[in-house]
Amino acid sequence: MWLYILKRVLQGLLTVWFIATATFFAMHNVPGDPLTNDRAMTETTRANLEAKYGLDQPITTQYLIFLRNLARGDFGISFVQENREVNDIIREHFPVSAILGVLAVVFAATGGVLFGALTALYRNRLPDYLIMFLVILGISVPSFVVAALSQLSLVSLNTLVGFTVLPVAGWGTVMHMLVPALVLGLSTMAYLTRLMRSSMLEVTSSDYVRTAKSKGVPPTRIFTRHQLRNAILPVVTVLGPAIAAITTGGFVVELVFAIPGLGRYFVEAVQQLDYTVIMGTTVFYGAFLVFMVILVDVVYGFIDPRVRLDS
Amino acid sequence: MKAAEENVDPATPLLTVEDLQVEFDTYGGTVQAVRGVSFSVDQGQTLAIVGESGCGKSVTVQSIMGLIPTPPGRITAGSARLRGHQILGRSTVGGKEIRGAEIGMIFQDPMTSLNPTMTIGDQIAEPLQIHRGYSARDAFTEAIRLLELSKIPEATKRAQQYPFEFSGGMLQRAMIAMALSCKPSILIADEPTTALDVTIQAQILDLMQELQKETGMAIILITHDLGVVARMADEVAVMYAGKVVEYGSADDVFYRSAHPYTVGLKEAMPTNDPARQHELKPIDGSPPDLFAPPAGCGYCPRCPYAMQICSDRQPQDHNLRGHHSASCWLHHAQSDSRPETLFFKDTH
Repeated sequence: MWLYILKRVLQGLLTVWFIATATFFAMHNVPGDPLTNDRAMTETTRANLEAKYGLDQPITTQYLIFLRNLARGDFGISFVQENREVNDIIREHFPVSAILGVLAVVFAATGGVLFGALTALYRNRLPDYLIMFLVILGISVPSFVVAALSQLSLVSLNTLVGFTVLPVAGWGTVMHMLVPALVLGLSTMAYLTRLMRSSMLEVTSSDYVRTAKSKGVPPTRIFTRHQLRNAILPVVTVLGPAIAAITTGGFVVELVFAIPGLGRYFVEAVQQLDYTVIMGTTVFYGAFLVFMVILVDVVYGFIDPRVRLDS
Repeated sequence: MKAAEENVDPATPLLTVEDLQVEFDTYGGTVQAVRGVSFSVDQGQTLAIVGESGCGKSVTVQSIMGLIPTPPGRITAGSARLRGHQILGRSTVGGKEIRGAEIGMIFQDPMTSLNPTMTIGDQIAEPLQIHRGYSARDAFTEAIRLLELSKIPEATKRAQQYPFEFSGGMLQRAMIAMALSCKPSILIADEPTTALDVTIQAQILDLMQELQKETGMAIILITHDLGVVARMADEVAVMYAGKVVEYGSADDVFYRSAHPYTVGLKEAMPTNDPARQHELKPIDGSPPDLFAPPAGCGYCPRCPYAMQICSDRQPQDHNLRGHHSASCWLHHAQSDSRPETLFFKDTH
């Protein structure tokens, strides 16, 4: 098991290196230059910056400098917001995105498993049809529409009650987090519900569930001991990519709900050609996702004994 | 409970199934999978139910166990009595759970019949916890003992392993240990050796016979392999198109075959006895469509002895010798050729 984890971590480091390299060269091929923009810049500033990043050096040297800084965990200084280190931006804003993302993933996973199992139990009956209708809605309606609509209904709710039950936007308390996290996790929850439903149905008609019945195991115990754990496996498998989709897709929701997350900086950096911020956040996001995927794989190993011996 | 058992006439067989009829609703219509099946099993005896795929063997035993999903399945008539008590559609008899405690069951494919995410030991221990109220620890210890009984080496280590770490034969042994954990009075084995290779088949059958001697349980063995029948069975029920067409002791059915279908099966089976060598003759045609069962005998279109009446009217069960019976018009009093037993060249 430990060997397996070590192997996965080494693979993950390699992946991060690929991401960093690809980002670096992609940024180099973007027309323009980080120091030529409409803002005035003194010769001294320019010279200092060029010296720090070696912008007058050949590309290979620049790449090596970039890698060296990366290994030290130094993503550099923002070109647009002067005197602001990329590390500081990440340190300040990532926790907000992470809390939102984790909460959304928790919503999506528990909701998906719960509703999926429920639809399978009530197959082709009213609860099944109702939930599957909402699932189609959740998958097809984009998050910014859902976000705006939920804000609208929050306003109505708050005026109706006379005080602020749940805040419409902003950040700070748990109350601020609930609705954005739900909106962010909604489409993933819908997707997981569908997946859980089909996997639950497959397990229900499997030979080992028939065996359990023939042993006289009561239905509730069959559900918890035999069906749930096996049915959840495909859900856990897609949880890695689902976390990726949620954390990177978060910036729209962050924008609508005025949440000071990292996603907004990422998008702004791209618009303003803020090279260091783009590279820093991209590599950081990449590393985060790789870490989450490894985590999911390790968790999978605990649920499915067949994966454990694969190392 | 004890008193109730003693009240039962000792001549009553352990399990009696009478006129069992099972239907399935499908998109294509209603399939009459089982059309009036009767048989009985005594303690310590082995009944083999033989027949080709789709003849209703598995559906018969699964309805006794209550494993038929309803809907689409439906038991429309008949009874199954365990020591005289009706068990169809019930989960307990005399306060005892039928599934797992009174009747144990093993299945065709051991590779898929065990839960892949649960240890073998836990799966064997489960019925003990449910039916016998064992603690988890005691049940696991008992599971190890049962694995040893099923001749699995290093049982203590093996009990902590998962199904994917076992071979097919080992898994079937584990299945047997699981089915017998609560000492059921009947073991139903639904094609227990079909998915295994021949040497392992023999070992599994030996194990079943050995455990039967020790516990005195009855075995209902479903198979399409006449070799397995000859080796194991005391009684044989030959099924065709949802009906029992011939029923009797293994000797009667094998040596004094009274139904053309039984004869056909024997002629299609190779033998390694030089005195009985014969050319293998397949049974031409295919079984009738059970969406619309024929008015007459289901075997009629494939039967070399078919008469006019065979396609018009359902044959009755004709008693021959002892409890040997065959459902065939050839044995009717007005039949031209009224064979005591059907001719087959290796019979006397």
